[in-house]
Amino acid sequence: MTVKMEASAGKLSEKTLMIYGIVVALVGIYLTQINGFTGVAVFSFFGGIGAIAALWWGSDTIKHLCSYGLGTGVPSAGMVAFGAGAIAMIAGTKFNLIIPFVGISLVPIVTLILAALIGAVIGYIANNIINMNIPVMIFSLTKLSIVGALTMLGFGAMCTGTFSFNGLVTGGLSLQMEPAAQAAANGAQMFTVTVIPEFAGSLIGGATLAVIFFLGAMALQHPFNACLGPNEQQDRTLMLALEVGFLSMIVVAVMSYAFLDIVSATIGLIVALIGWIYTYKQYIALSKRDAYEWLDAKPIKEVGGDQ
Amino acid sequence: MSALGGKASGGEGINPTGTVVGIIILLVSIAATYALGFSIVPLIGIIIGGALIGFGVHFVPVGGAPAAMGQAPGIATGVAMLAAGAGLAGLFGGAWAYEATGDFIVAIAGGAVGGGLMMAITCLMVNATYVFAMGIPAASGKVAKDPITGDTFPEYKSQGTEGHGLPFVSFFGGVVGGFIAGLGGTIIYLELFDVYLANLPALMNGATTESIQPLAVSLAGIFAIGFFLVNAVLAAYNITGTIEGPHDPKFKRVPRAVIGCAVASAFCGLISMLIIYNTGM
Repeated sequence: MTVKMEASAGKLSEKTLMIYGIVVALVGIYLTQINGFTGVAVFSFFGGIGAIAALWWGSDTIKHLCSYGLGTGVPSAGMVAFGAGAIAMIAGTKFNLIIPFVGISLVPIVTLILAALIGAVIGYIANNIINMNIPVMIFSLTKLSIVGALTMLGFGAMCTGTFSFNGLVTGGLSLQMEPAAQAAANGAQMFTVTVIPEFAGSLIGGATLAVIFFLGAMALQHPFNACLGPNEQQDRTLMLALEVGFLSMIVVAVMSYAFLDIVSATIGLIVALIGWIYTYKQYIALSKRDAYEWLDAKPIKEVGGDQ
Repeated sequence: MSALGGKASGGEGINPTGTVVGIIILLVSIAATYALGFSIVPLIGIIIGGALIGFGVHFVPVGGAPAAMGQAPGIATGVAMLAAGAGLAGLFGGAWAYEATGDFIVAIAGGAVGGGLMMAITCLMVNATYVFAMGIPAASGKVAKDPITGDTFPEYKSQGTEGHGLPFVSFFGGVVGGFIAGLGGTIIYLELFDVYLANLPALMNGATTESIQPLAVSLAGIFAIGFFLVNAVLAAYNITGTIEGPHDPKFKRVPRAVIGCAVASAFCGLISMLIIYNTGM
């Protein structure tokens, strides 16, 4: 029971991964805003790409945190990341202020800042109040909270085509008509029409966000949990992160059929399927590269006779 | 990770500097909530709920991977999964009770009973699996005698293990832990639900209290899951992954987790209140 967990050094440094992760995630989430400018929702799948970039970066962060031996298993880090990230993400979507002249929304930036704050506080609590005394604790939990929040924001944007609070909570509009007055001359009836927003059929109102929560949490904690060990290689772990990210994206794309038009949702599904097939093949190739020997399993042979 | 045997670094005792800074964060969160114009009563409820979750997790016999191999006592999974199971079972029970009766006390009692029931069923089936499928008797490695029944353990404990199975005191701890954690989770859910139900209709154009109800339920539910996981994982860090129950020496670390979970809940509670802040957007 004393297998040592070591974080492999790898070609990409933590800092490089962080920059790529944040930039691609933010750009991906912002690209879904083109939906608002053009009026079609076909750009929604960029949110999923952004979420996968965040997961890709997060799986490397988890590796560095968990190599210190938390005692609780790798999945708990994914759960705390998404627990904190969910709170930051929902609160962040409230700040849908469009920056003048640039025309982009404040939501992803505010979400990132709120997630960093929550992560830093939780990291401080774990490190200094609970006395974990792990040097990378505060910074790692800060990064993981950002990963959790950006992943949920990206998948949420992919699912609904928007990342504003009103867009995420409003499922549709229904009209309520009440007879108001009888116009005297020709007997025409007048009606008062009230627009009633429906909340139960939306991403948050229908609690579909909870599915995204666990899809993301599993995709975040699985890569290192599956690849850890003495022969862990960074490129293989990161490829697995992409693979499970696209796997989650397939499910999100299927869910998006409920919120988007058929064309947009199908584009998301096709992108996710192509990405998943490609990364799965790459991951198998990397596993074959790192394996001592690759034996294809065969059915157990039936022994004839009395035996 | 216990299965991988990395050095568990959680030391004993309370870190005075960290605790003072934590309490300052807690007070600042309450002050900020007040300054933003929200009532601080729901936030106090959230803090109490978070502290109860952190406290309750310490009772639950979490065994982790060694327990799955019959080498340590407890339920053979991690804290995050167990706490999520017990907490969410409690939360659903409490939410349903609130829907049916509208009474706060009945609802939190329903949540607590739901969490306790979930853990009782889990502990019973875990012990059935241990005894009848794996063929191991229940024996604790941390104490020689069960504090409740007085059963002795050393003669049943296999050599080279830290004990195995689920002795009565662990079973008892599991039920009490589920009860307390379910209570805490339900308090958080109900406080958030009431806040959202009361304040969201004013923010959403044309929404009535009835039409906002599914949204308030979902928002409070997702936030409660987030709070629950954050608090449960913090408590898990405090016990470094495994604990046998209330008789385990690690149980003495509980004040740290209660303070830590209270601080985390206060700050996360402040952020979750931002939903009803009128940003004009």
